Amino acid sequence: MSENLDSLRANLREWLAANAPQDWRDAGTHGAFVASQRAWFAKLAGAGYAIPHWPAQWPGGGRTLAAQKVIYEELARADAPRLLLSFVSTYHAFATLHECASAEQQARYLPRILEGEIWCQGFSEPGAGSDLAAVRTKAVRHGDVYVVEGQKVWSTMAQHADRCLLLVRTSAEGAKQAGLTYLLMDMKEPGVTVRPIHQIQGDEEFAEIFLDNVEIPVSERVGEEGAGWAVAQATLASERGLTLMELAYRMRGSMFRLADLIRAAGRADDAGVIRDFGRLTAQVDAVCALADRFLQRRIAGEEAVGDASIVKNAYSRCLRAWADMGVRIGGIGAQHRHAITFGDLTTGNWMADFMNSYAWTIAGGSEEVQRNIIAERMLGMAREPKGWTA
Amino acid sequence: MIALTELADAARQVFPGDALMPPRDASWRQVAELGWLVLDLPEELGGLALGREALATVLLEMGKALPATPLAPALLGLQAIVASPDLTGRAEWAARICGGEYIPLNMLPADVFRAGSRLSGTIAGVFEADMATHIVAGTADLYALIPLDAPGVGITEHRLWDESRRLFDVVLDGYILLPELVLAEGQAAWELHDRLSLTAQTAVAADCLGGAEAVLAMTTEYLATRRQFDRPLAMFQALKHRVADMKIALTAAEALFWSRVSDPSATPLHMGAMKAHCAQTFRDIAEDAIQLHGGIGLTEEHPCHRFFKRAFLNAQLCGAIEYWEEQAGRAALA
Repeated sequence: MSENLDSLRANLREWLAANAPQDWRDAGTHGAFVASQRAWFAKLAGAGYAIPHWPAQWPGGGRTLAAQKVIYEELARADAPRLLLSFVSTYHAFATLHECASAEQQARYLPRILEGEIWCQGFSEPGAGSDLAAVRTKAVRHGDVYVVEGQKVWSTMAQHADRCLLLVRTSAEGAKQAGLTYLLMDMKEPGVTVRPIHQIQGDEEFAEIFLDNVEIPVSERVGEEGAGWAVAQATLASERGLTLMELAYRMRGSMFRLADLIRAAGRADDAGVIRDFGRLTAQVDAVCALADRFLQRRIAGEEAVGDASIVKNAYSRCLRAWADMGVRIGGIGAQHRHAITFGDLTTGNWMADFMNSYAWTIAGGSEEVQRNIIAERMLGMAREPKGWTA
Repeated sequence: MIALTELADAARQVFPGDALMPPRDASWRQVAELGWLVLDLPEELGGLALGREALATVLLEMGKALPATPLAPALLGLQAIVASPDLTGRAEWAARICGGEYIPLNMLPADVFRAGSRLSGTIAGVFEADMATHIVAGTADLYALIPLDAPGVGITEHRLWDESRRLFDVVLDGYILLPELVLAEGQAAWELHDRLSLTAQTAVAADCLGGAEAVLAMTTEYLATRRQFDRPLAMFQALKHRVADMKIALTAAEALFWSRVSDPSATPLHMGAMKAHCAQTFRDIAEDAIQLHGGIGLTEEHPCHRFFKRAFLNAQLCGAIEYWEEQAGRAALA
């Protein structure tokens, strides 16, 4: 089945014009934002646009990457809310279940995700950030259950989650990757405590998860014991470049916020400002072209190692430059603490946007780790010798 | 239909990256014989009508070898002649150029004043004028063919830091404009300028990207070879991150380049802003390449400096970086 992309685009554009909320950035409170995210997911899912990457038996599923690209282009174009709250469940959890879980596990969980169940990811730990394989949260098997003890951090929206993709250590023997196991955890289990993290810009998008002798049935294990690293790779590879393309397009669509600011600040005749803005415009266009080209290569099956790292770093640096210009032109006004804007990166709340941009140079593999990947795997630079000891 | 990959392969054969600055006259004859001048020429004039992407492909590959071979100025001269609303004998002129007669367009502004039919002033930015028979002089309100052996026409070479090319002024001192050699005047000259600038920006940007790719490769190879503190420089993370950033900037610039080159609706402003981005990227990469080569990078004994100097000259051609940044900014704020 090959969908007509032009009619998909036209139908979706029409649907979004009638259905996309416009005031979603100004939810006011985190709780209200979460409620609006739930409502938007339900609406999109009902119209068949929320899970285009799922198999064809699911409503709105079975779409090619090219069709998914059209959907995200149109969501960005309509300035519709981003799908944040449901992102881990529809991408990370879906990919993990689809590629690695048993038929029984898939049948149990995929329908719930479509109905709006929220999942979070329990990978990072205080001692396992860029070096994810250093996970120490310990799971010991007692009969039919694993007893889990440890701490997870940087778990997006964990305080709202029903279920968690949990990476635990079941063995300390051999290579550190080999001792990892992958579990699905009910967030309501006794012993699970979630503490939202107060972020630099005042939001609470992330949380810590404390695990105190949490019992997880062995039936909730994905893959074999000790196969957790491989399963985690399926989780992490789930996203396929759509988000960065969407974000790049949204950044371009937000250039008017900077233009408005420059005019309002009376700087539209300042040649230095004009040149900076012109330079930024070309940089944003370049990042859009790059994200687009990267997806085209994926669609054509021509992706190369390191491509994703290049797009991520190019985007995150451009995002920083975007927000930096706003902070500079915004002057003292940008230093007044405004009510936080939710769910977007290029909002015109300049200091908040600037601080938020660090999420993209740090999270999901810091830009330093991405640079190592690019240098070592694309440019052939030698790896550092392993085995350093203090 | 020739595939772009075949063109790229052919360009790499004629201009191999390990033979920098190939002899100018021989490579020019080769370029003419291979038909690269007709790549984007309309079919009714014996061309292949392959479009801007074909030119971009060839010029980008050539850029890696730092050639003096003035394909871009010649293509622009040819395009001006072909697009001229007024010139008689366009097909004959086109045939002469495609046969190897060199008639370049200037790639820097002209400062010319007109008294009756006499022209005086300077037409800057004429590459390799010593091998030209004529130039196409592009000024603010006039495009015209000027024979270089006519009375009142002289050429003055400017010695450049960039020794990979030779750049001349054509100096007019009471040159009598021949009406039959006028390509466009007034409004038509402006329109012709806009059409040509699409190709001109493509050509300069292609040269920038080719040069940037080559000097980045030269740098990574150097880092892999040179050893200090008992290990290859390539193993130092600080240096890895520098070359990774060069690769990121280059890949983004390439993406912008191809998106604009393949976009039939791209305006002169789009192309100029793209050129500025690519020229700045080439400069940034070439500057970092010098630093990462260390002492040897500061000499004329290693070719690294040639890319550096070419990058700085490219930044001035067909509208400097600052000019296009300002134009793009004004348009975006309008």
